[in-house]
Amino acid sequence: MLFWQDPQFGEKLITMLAALVLVLQILMVAQRWLITNIRAFGVQSFLLAAIAATIAYFNHAPHVYVVAALTLIFKAILLPLALERLVAKIEIRQEIEPLVNVPISVIFSGLLALLAYVVAESFHRPDEAGLGHNTLAVAIALFLIGFFMMVNRRKALTQVLALLCLENGLFLAAISLTYGMPLIIEAGIFFDVLVATLLLAILIYRIRETFDSMDVSRLSRLKG
Amino acid sequence: MTSEIAGVAIQAALQVALVLFLSPLITGFSRTLKARLQTRLGAGVLQPYRDLHKLLRKGMVIPDTASWMFTATPFVLFATTLLAGLLIPTISAQAPLSLFGGVLAVVYLLALGRFFLALGGLDTGSSFGGLGSSREMTISAIAEPALMLAVFTVAIGAGSTNLSTMAQAGLGQSWRFLAPSQMLAFAALFIVLIAETGRIPVDNPATHLELTMIHEAMILEYSGPYLALIEWSAAMKQLVLMTLLVNVFFPFGLSAGWWQAATLVSLLLFSGKLLLLAAAVVLVETTNAKLRIFRVPELLAVAFVLSAMALVSTFLF
Repeated sequence: MLFWQDPQFGEKLITMLAALVLVLQILMVAQRWLITNIRAFGVQSFLLAAIAATIAYFNHAPHVYVVAALTLIFKAILLPLALERLVAKIEIRQEIEPLVNVPISVIFSGLLALLAYVVAESFHRPDEAGLGHNTLAVAIALFLIGFFMMVNRRKALTQVLALLCLENGLFLAAISLTYGMPLIIEAGIFFDVLVATLLLAILIYRIRETFDSMDVSRLSRLKG
Repeated sequence: MTSEIAGVAIQAALQVALVLFLSPLITGFSRTLKARLQTRLGAGVLQPYRDLHKLLRKGMVIPDTASWMFTATPFVLFATTLLAGLLIPTISAQAPLSLFGGVLAVVYLLALGRFFLALGGLDTGSSFGGLGSSREMTISAIAEPALMLAVFTVAIGAGSTNLSTMAQAGLGQSWRFLAPSQMLAFAALFIVLIAETGRIPVDNPATHLELTMIHEAMILEYSGPYLALIEWSAAMKQLVLMTLLVNVFFPFGLSAGWWQAATLVSLLLFSGKLLLLAAAVVLVETTNAKLRIFRVPELLAVAFVLSAMALVSTFLF
């Protein structure tokens, strides 16, 4: 059997891509530039699309190809472009200022990933053939680190980015546990995320117009 | 028995030649590729050989304040790096001196060389030397745990810290490098490689003029043959670390012994893998700006977390 027909190779490939997704997530926590963060999110989404396509190929599930294509178009191309345009429009290019400093954030993310591995372990049934528990661990890690990024950052735009990463985690969990949900649900989620991001982008623009800043801690101040 | 000893001696001699004469080529290749990526012409891949040849013929200026430490440093550095080069498998899975130590010996031989280099930098009493030494030790203190954890990840998979056993274990399992633990460990080691060889996000290898220099600051007082020895050791250290990366993670193409027809093929494959890795490092160098010195620990914290996760995922899965 040639290796591109071997399901075991497929599983290894998926696990490797999932590990890459996790590496990207940690890099996003570690680096400080907004634009780089947005692009890292784009690459992460591209990897998720690759995972979906690999699952579709090795499990002969053609509708998952559609999911992969949707991920590629919306999350890897359209959303990063929209966010970059937003950054250009509100003229901020500064560094992200996390509340907790970077080395501690990175180590904390590592601990969260560890927690995710431990949690995912309890779902592992060795006797049942299922997609990598490793992928589930990565999905839970994305979810937890996404939450952490959201509370750790001040600017509204970076919080939106954290929300998108969190959603990437959900997507990975769904696709790795179920080999793809029914297409209608997937499509619903995609449009949901897209519309949510566009709405949040408008909201961010308004916050910036009103408060001259994207720092959400200023929202609690009175303004007369 | 005597023929075995003779065999080991010949292997060791071959590997000494390989490490000595291949290492400046890798440096030259990196520099030329970097120049091309910056649309410069570059000095050619053979320039490091010419530099070494020139430096070895020149006279030396030794500072009045220097003690014996200043003189001993280049030799200790050169000897430890070359010895580390004999402990790693290059074109054959069997490293010539693998009986005498595994990956821990390699790491700590390099650390011994670095220790002496830092002392040599401090010895003359110039403020630049001390500054470089203190930075080098700070960075290596953070890089070392990441390096060790990543190495242990692979060692657990192979069941041994002996590099030859590790490479052979890798040869046995196809697609092993796709495992997440291997991948995370490779990513961590790649960052450590950049930090340890003084490449751009951490240190700029092409400058003597910046206040942020690390390696160059330590060796500022050295000249002539001593400088040649130190530069050569730096090139060999780079080769040793790169070989560690390519042959532990991607061991395909390693021949089982030294006397096979496949040896020539594995030499070509080995050089190819090294050049690819060097190209990856150069790509990182040209697309990134140098980090502020206080940001370097952040980068190394990433490496540490990655290798810690690699270790965890080996145990859990």
